[in-house]
Amino acid sequence: MKMIKAIMEKMYRLIGKNRYLNKLKPVLNAADEALFGTDKVNASPHIADYLDVKRFMFMVVAALIPAVIAAVYFWGLRVLAVIAVSYIFGGLVEVCFAIVRKKEIHEGFLVTGIIFPLILPPGVPLWMVAVGVVFGVLFGKEVFGGTGKNIFNPAIVGRIFLSIAFPKIMAVNWQAPFSGGWGGLAHYQNTIDAVVSATPLALFKNQGIVTPWLNMLFGANAGCIGETFRIGLIAGGLFLILIRIVDWRIPLAYLITAPLFAFIANSFFHTHLASPSLQLLSGGLLLGAFFMATDPVTSPFTKPGKWVAGVLLGSLTALIRGFSGYVEGVMFSILIINVFTPLIDSVVLKLRYKTK
Amino acid sequence: MLKKIRTFKGGFKFQNYPGQAKPLFVLAGIPLRVVIPLNRCSDVDVKPLVKKGDTVFAGQIIGRDDANILSPAHSSVNGIVEDIQRVNYFNCDTAMVAIRATDSSPEIKPLAGYAGDWQKLNNEKIEELIFLSGAASLRAVSPEKVMHVIIQETGAEAYNSSLDLILEGKNLLNFIEGAKILKKIMPQARVHLAVNRQHKKIISQIVNLTAQMDWFEVCAFKPKYPQGALAVLLPAILNQKIPYDSCAANLGVSLLQAQEVLAVYAAVTRGEPFVEKIVALCGPGFKENLHLKARIGTPLNEIIKDRLKSTDSVRLILNSLLSGPALEDLSFPLDKRFSQIIAIDDHRQREFLAFARPGLRRDSYSGAFGAHWLPGIKKSVDTNQHGQERPCISCGFCADVCPVRIIPHLLTRYVRREIINEILLSYEIFNCVECGLCSFVCPSKIPLLKQIKSGQEKLIAEGFCAKK
Repeated sequence: MKMIKAIMEKMYRLIGKNRYLNKLKPVLNAADEALFGTDKVNASPHIADYLDVKRFMFMVVAALIPAVIAAVYFWGLRVLAVIAVSYIFGGLVEVCFAIVRKKEIHEGFLVTGIIFPLILPPGVPLWMVAVGVVFGVLFGKEVFGGTGKNIFNPAIVGRIFLSIAFPKIMAVNWQAPFSGGWGGLAHYQNTIDAVVSATPLALFKNQGIVTPWLNMLFGANAGCIGETFRIGLIAGGLFLILIRIVDWRIPLAYLITAPLFAFIANSFFHTHLASPSLQLLSGGLLLGAFFMATDPVTSPFTKPGKWVAGVLLGSLTALIRGFSGYVEGVMFSILIINVFTPLIDSVVLKLRYKTK
Repeated sequence: MLKKIRTFKGGFKFQNYPGQAKPLFVLAGIPLRVVIPLNRCSDVDVKPLVKKGDTVFAGQIIGRDDANILSPAHSSVNGIVEDIQRVNYFNCDTAMVAIRATDSSPEIKPLAGYAGDWQKLNNEKIEELIFLSGAASLRAVSPEKVMHVIIQETGAEAYNSSLDLILEGKNLLNFIEGAKILKKIMPQARVHLAVNRQHKKIISQIVNLTAQMDWFEVCAFKPKYPQGALAVLLPAILNQKIPYDSCAANLGVSLLQAQEVLAVYAAVTRGEPFVEKIVALCGPGFKENLHLKARIGTPLNEIIKDRLKSTDSVRLILNSLLSGPALEDLSFPLDKRFSQIIAIDDHRQREFLAFARPGLRRDSYSGAFGAHWLPGIKKSVDTNQHGQERPCISCGFCADVCPVRIIPHLLTRYVRREIINEILLSYEIFNCVECGLCSFVCPSKIPLLKQIKSGQEKLIAEGFCAKK
């Protein structure tokens, strides 16, 4: 530890001498703070909760670890390269903006950097990961003023940009997962020949095949990198709810409404929506409901607003999945509800404080 | 009569803080010099009745003003008035009477007219005794109009003085006699004892002893902070909605502490003026955590300095970790308002990789640290901020813990952007009870309470007054 402290001090001195290098100070400050914490003390109230934003974001990342390990197992060690690229380029954008703004580096990209690769198809080229994350962080967050001021979830902005800009690669490039033995832990990537698979939702929509639910729960089917190991996502989500990092209202409302909507539509309108259990366990619904729709910055902060957002998200997802040209609807519905978040909040506040 | 009461929404339970004061007390002895403030935390002083060089005796009234509601100030030792000067005392300009003690006899001259059998006294005499003893300030409302007497012993702070000690032995009976005395001069009043429900023994004793008294009610509360705040306590006890800006006096409510009820009893039956107070010395900064019975006016230097582990890098806090002021000047005297003095580490040390540690002793509103799931482990407590200030991420913790259901992060957003108008009023900024929980739980370390207060000040400065 002393060694690290000595190195940090040397770096500070080095940076202090040079006018241009001095601009890199936020980077050093961030490293210093992350390593050693703060020496500031409270005024009044005299004590402060031990939870800080670093811990807050760190817990979200920790909750995603089972999904990441499973992803490596299913898709090979290349997943780690994808995550590394996402962190490096996302972090670079964050650092650039911190330097230009002369502000501290904020911890928000810790979560964006891990969620973004998890919602990409396993075969995505690395350069595309970089392009996507740069676009997402830049136009999803930094242009609005950084963490806390963004309207959209940066990971989803990046992902939707990629699916619109490169539809072929993003929609067709599904690999079959490894299974048995060491799986992907011993391979870099599945061979290109194995790229003949469709996601459960696509199978249902195009051919009417229903994937067994146990299969989907444990993730041995095609899908985005982090969305298939659903039992791990559920565990991670419940963990976050338990430690209050995530509010339970949005996931609950979301996960009830989507199957319910499908059920009602199927029983009354003779449509061809996927069955409730397929709705619940397919695509990115669980990842979206637990980790993306609940992003505190871009979801409503009022409690009734959270219920409203959850219900709207569920119905929209089932609607897009069932009736639109797209197979998957989670990302679009979260993006759309992000737009409505300020409206939902202000309506709730108006109603709540109207009478007084 | 025991009344079960539903708790309020929000709030936070401070559990297992290290260094709770043990239920025993030591006598501090007669100090060589005392300083008596002539102000009880309001804008006006009582008028001094003595001047420099006068000889005074313990229990003598040295400041009194019959025109306002303040109770008189007493000398707490036999001695000579050294000086009367004005100082800044907790942000009030206050006259302080310094008295040099001439002898160390513990005797206190009783007030005239007391009677061991207080039933014989008439109401006027009892009222006069209570007023002259300074036991309790009952003048805010005329006693006939008081509808509710609330004895506030909710014990919901992180550190509390021990009710077991205050009501130990004979004091429990005296306490109930004190309540009877109050009932006699306030014939319309109901007496409510708001008490931490973990004091099972005391509660059952009091319930048994007061079985015949249908006007006496024991309200057992969860010790959830800030249960003691008036705006939270009143609606729970009276079971009705109370406008937040109404003061207790207008509602016909008189608020007391158990020690004051005991002082009422002592004043009426033994003629004792209120010149001694029990304070709890809490927190890991003290060598020994116990209670101290000391004369009011004793400078803190004398009673506290030797009991601290070290005098540097320690912060002394009065009464409450969250809403109490810091005691920066140890030449200040012990005052009637003091019930706990808390000493915690003024922690400026940095900690390696603090955010990634399991945190078995770290108290947090969220469950993100091990301490949340391991009951019974002593928490660590210090003044460190535990993180850097960051922009608000609307996590909603502050709104969740707020005992009066306002949304601190929303108000802060408005105040920071200098949007000072009716919107702030309509978001009920003046309901804030200044409990400080929002600032405590904020993971972004935003001083929410400070912003809310400054918003209130700006609103008042711009001519928007609190909504009626």
